[in-house]
Amino acid sequence: MITKFFTKVVVKFNPFGKEAKTARLFLSSIPPTQRVGGTSIQNVILSGNSTEKPVVKVFFKDKSEMEIDPSTVTFKEIGNFFDRHSRKLHLKESIESQ
Amino acid sequence: MIRNLRLGFGRPDTTIFGYFAARYISTAPRVTVKPLHSRKTFLIDSYKHMMEHNPVVLFAHYNNLLKQENATFRSQIKGIGGCMTSVRNNLFQVYLRNAHLPDPCAKTSKNQQNKSHPLLPLFKGPTVAISFPETDPAKVAKLLKLLEKSADKLFIVGAKVESEVYDMAQLNQFKSLPTKPELQSQLLGLLHILSGAGLVRTLESGSQALYLTLQSHHDNQSNPESSEKKND
Repeated sequence: MITKFFTKVVVKFNPFGKEAKTARLFLSSIPPTQRVGGTSIQNVILSGNSTEKPVVKVFFKDKSEMEIDPSTVTFKEIGNFFDRHSRKLHLKESIESQ
Repeated sequence: MIRNLRLGFGRPDTTIFGYFAARYISTAPRVTVKPLHSRKTFLIDSYKHMMEHNPVVLFAHYNNLLKQENATFRSQIKGIGGCMTSVRNNLFQVYLRNAHLPDPCAKTSKNQQNKSHPLLPLFKGPTVAISFPETDPAKVAKLLKLLEKSADKLFIVGAKVESEVYDMAQLNQFKSLPTKPELQSQLLGLLHILSGAGLVRTLESGSQALYLTLQSHHDNQSNPESSEKKND
């Protein structure tokens, strides 16, 4: 997963639910250097009886945002989902740098 | 002959005599799935020790901690009075499935295992266990306050308190409770205050009534003549 273009990550999940695996693996795949270097990570723990839906929300460097429900997808799928936009940004960056 | 015997004692498994002796010395050898002195067996044993000797064990998720972050968290938690252990998920799950059995490392059939242990879903990603040797909500409150500042690195996902499993909401309620001895003294004080209103007497009345009934029965039995006279 390309995490280079993330500026803010918001993860809401219930650790006892089935979305926990995807959400936690997603959180742990963001490298620590990036956490120090500006990407802010917010996580909200939901309890079993809360009505809020689990969500993974990412804000990119070009101010666009994407969100997905982690209970329906695997970690690999969530990676592909965010990579779709990250690859666009990557291409744009490589063209501009030349 | 003597020499042979000595050799036999030196390496008990090489002679037939030694073989039988060794079998009878260790009457019940421990049978484990993984080799007895392997790391996996050791870790499962250490998890069993941690869960049985610490009434409060909190489970936290960690995000790729840097070495210095890891060290600071460990020292801060040690300062509060706890101990941070990073956990191998699969081995901890094996322990939880077999926690009700006498030896969690032994081979078990599938229907013996407890697959619905309430803690099992917590081991889906990098997990640490923070254990406290006594039930003290104040320490838990301190820890939660400490981790509040660095929620992007380490955050609590669930807990085992005494024999119950708590999620975050229940843990927040638990941390505001007074300590166990304080609660006991409060209860005692309450009983003392209420004793004027007859609570203690009510509590005693059951055993007192039983004593009086038995005593009268005893009296009747010991001197039947007097009771007969009474009846006449």
